[in-house]
Amino acid sequence: MTNFLDAYSIQYWLESCPQGYLMDTDYGHPADEKEPALVIEDPVLRDAAIRTTVQLVVGERCALASSSGLVGCAPDAPSQCFLATQTLDEARHVEVFTQRLYDLGVKKKELEDVIARYANPNLVKFAEILLEKVDKKDFVAGVVGQNVVLEGMAFSVFEMMETVNRDPNPKFAHTLTGTIADERRHVGFGENRIGSLIRQYPERKSEIEQMQKDMSYFMLATFADNFRSNEMQQEVEHARDELDAGARGDATWQGVNLAQAEPAEIEAVLSDTILKDFQARLGRIGLAYQTPAKPRVAA
Amino acid sequence: MSGSGIDDVHALEPEDFIEEVHSFEHWFEAVEGYLKGLDHGHLPDVAEALLTAEERDRLIATFCSYAVAETAALEASSGLIAIAPNRHAKIFLSTQTVDEGRHVEVMLHRLRELGVPDPEAEVERRAGPSVRNLRKKILQLVEAHEWDAAIFAQNVALETMEYTVFRAHARTADPITRDLLERVLRDERRHIGFGENELGRRIREDKKRRLWLGTVKSELDSLVLQTFEEAMEEIGVPRWDRPSLGRDYLETVNRLGLV
Ligand SMILES: [Fe+2]
Ligand SMILES: [Fe+2]
Ligand SMILES: [Fe+2]
Ligand SMILES: [Fe+2]
Repeated sequence: MTNFLDAYSIQYWLESCPQGYLMDTDYGHPADEKEPALVIEDPVLRDAAIRTTVQLVVGERCALASSSGLVGCAPDAPSQCFLATQTLDEARHVEVFTQRLYDLGVKKKELEDVIARYANPNLVKFAEILLEKVDKKDFVAGVVGQNVVLEGMAFSVFEMMETVNRDPNPKFAHTLTGTIADERRHVGFGENRIGSLIRQYPERKSEIEQMQKDMSYFMLATFADNFRSNEMQQEVEHARDELDAGARGDATWQGVNLAQAEPAEIEAVLSDTILKDFQARLGRIGLAYQTPAKPRVAA
Repeated sequence: MSGSGIDDVHALEPEDFIEEVHSFEHWFEAVEGYLKGLDHGHLPDVAEALLTAEERDRLIATFCSYAVAETAALEASSGLIAIAPNRHAKIFLSTQTVDEGRHVEVMLHRLRELGVPDPEAEVERRAGPSVRNLRKKILQLVEAHEWDAAIFAQNVALETMEYTVFRAHARTADPITRDLLERVLRDERRHIGFGENELGRRIREDKKRRLWLGTVKSELDSLVLQTFEEAMEEIGVPRWDRPSLGRDYLETVNRLGLV
């Protein structure tokens, strides 16, 4: 275990992250990159960008609360040190996405109101399930909830968003690239560290599997709210009217061209990718994936 | 992180200043200069000094106690994030969490360099009793969600004590230990600064808070002093040559108006 945990040390983190892929960035992107004028000036696109970014801030605040909360109940020093790096990664994610809200014109004084107004209630419930485990100092459940479920979701959502933004918004795409690199490390830790603990505490399995099922349900409900809302339909149509095909670029992710697909199709490929990923990862650490209930279609 | 901005912070409005100096960006610019190219907390090309068996053993005992103090700081700074009153404090404490994690990691690694096969077990076996008690006390305050008292215990009392001990130790230490401690000291200075700034502001706003912190301070005083004496004993600093913890600690406490 010591050898595997060497790859998650602070030494390694310092060299690969702040002294590696974050060098010469300001708030996660090259200093000379700005939000495109179209996003800033078009009220529909700006509003959509704010709403999306708020969900990222909410998710990252949850990750910051859980990773910092798990430091004190980790069973060994190398795991504590890894979680210290994750804590700072998540704080950085909170910082860069909050900065994006400021870049989009949110005033500092309005920040908490904007977050409260736009935060998706299902995403908040998703976070609450995880934070309840962390509050109880439940390391095994906390790491599965955080480093497999939350991180697995974040990883695919960021990858998909990075693909969509690569051509029309390089600043945001670059911010996402750095967070994706961080999340990949976090997912890797979860998968590598937790397997031996699951073998040590097999009696915990069913409760942890139930947590995965519940968190997955609220994740799907968040996606349903988002992709099936009328605002989303209108925003997608509006964005496609404003951006010509050249500016949208080739946004193919998991075999779907995101620049042309309908919101329902995007929701399906995103959910499917994440759930398959959960299934594979949970299998590798010795947990049985539980299929979540399907959220009802929003009226 | 592109290296701009750190010199301009004093031109900012007070609120923006606090946001800036507590940010990840500011942390990175601060540490970039002294954490680059290191091998587990020290320069890679520093040669190990020839230590006698007794000197080595003493150094091992010292690092075991340091590791407990640093673990206390790691657990307390991460635990405080949940109760921090604002986002800037949360982000600063996240930078402190990684600093303290780094201190734990480099100190455990120093034990390995000194020939200890299982550093965590060695720490469990050999760390001094006072530092263990101090850790317990600090974590109790964090658990009780006592923000002001926990920040005082960690970022003022523990950090000032560590600062005085590490500085005294670095003066006489072997080259690797000295290099490692001098880099740790630069982090600790930042942590003390946060503690003073945060508490100074809150005490000015509320007199009752000052009285309460005065009580916390008197409860902690003897524990901090015992831990300090224990460390001086382990390092082997003769009584007549010991730095005055009282002076550093009292100066800070004076600045906060807590005497
Ligand atoms: Fe994150
Ligand atoms: Fe993460
Ligand atoms: Fe420290
Ligand atoms: Fe410190």
